[in-house]
Amino acid sequence: MSEELEKTSDDLVVASPREIELVDNRSRNQALVSYWALPSIFLTVALLGGLRVGADDHAFIFFPPPLITLVLAVLLMLLFVRGGLIELRSWIAASHPPLENISHVWILLTLFFASAQAFNSVLPERGLLHWLFSFFFLWTLWNNQFSSFDARRLLRSLVALFGTAFVLKHLLLASLYASGGGWLQRLTGTLVQGISLGTLDAPMFAPATGYISFFTLGLYIAGLMLVANSKQ
Amino acid sequence: MRQKLIQTLGLGFTALYALAIVWLYATEPRSFKEAATGAQVAAGTYQVDQKKFDAALDLFRREQFRAARDEWKSADPAQSDPTTQFYIAYSFYREGWGRVYYDQDLFKQGLEAVNRAIALAPEPLNVSDQNLQLHTAAELKAELEQGTERNWGDVNPLKVMRQRK
Repeated sequence: MSEELEKTSDDLVVASPREIELVDNRSRNQALVSYWALPSIFLTVALLGGLRVGADDHAFIFFPPPLITLVLAVLLMLLFVRGGLIELRSWIAASHPPLENISHVWILLTLFFASAQAFNSVLPERGLLHWLFSFFFLWTLWNNQFSSFDARRLLRSLVALFGTAFVLKHLLLASLYASGGGWLQRLTGTLVQGISLGTLDAPMFAPATGYISFFTLGLYIAGLMLVANSKQ
Repeated sequence: MRQKLIQTLGLGFTALYALAIVWLYATEPRSFKEAATGAQVAAGTYQVDQKKFDAALDLFRREQFRAARDEWKSADPAQSDPTTQFYIAYSFYREGWGRVYYDQDLFKQGLEAVNRAIALAPEPLNVSDQNLQLHTAAELKAELEQGTERNWGDVNPLKVMRQRK
């Protein structure tokens, strides 16, 4: 026993003050990211995801998350767990201090609402397109549940998913229904409306809505990257 | 210890932020100005613009009811002051009152305003203005309700003898 202790004390190395400072800074920065930056980022996404700017009076319009976005967010959270972006067992455990468990549950909650609002941001607000986009998301997320993923591939796949939806909604559809467009654009819009018997009707918003959505999605992806990095 | 402090403060701050987001979605302000006014109301620091209120009262006494209402609306943008809402309702009453008929549209808007005033007042609202004949919100509401109801008394020719309050 005493031999073992002697051996162990020989192996121990005293850390220099510089090394102690580095470790201290690292743990403090990790705490700042986990308990301040991540919830703040996800809450900002939750705030901006449902914000639109009216085309006529430039007034704020707040769209609460539709029920389908909550379902999509649940599927996405499951995907985060399956892909290893969130390690539930190491985040929430009986051996952790209660405050740490509460903080981790809080991050999960803010991530859930941010995910719902990220979907809300790229979903058309009503009509057939709303359901088409929802079906497209639902199909993709459901298929992904059965694929093998790691955190990095999952993030890349999400960037592609949200990027495609953003381009479709805020660039293609917005330009199709824009009032200030040329005659060809208006003709195409009217034709699409006529062929679809008005089911493709979408509300008009100011261009600022697209910028807000872009910023929101960027922030959401940045938040997810921070989660992946903090895990490492 | 320092990590625990960061954790606790972070939780507190982000919980407040989340509450603010819920409040924004519940109240749906249409501009930054409306959001700021709403925040003042929520914090209990909201006050009507007294200068605009007095200017509106002056217009009301000169029977410039629409102009008076515009002034009162800008004096109380959050529609949170019971007295201002009472005066707005009164201006609808006076403008809509006619010897032969009442303007139903104006009376309905007056009813909405007086209902707001009643809902906002912590106790029965009483406005002690010598230029008014109806001093309580309940009296004004009854008068506006009578004006919006249809009955056989409407065809009584003696109706033209009644006085505006």
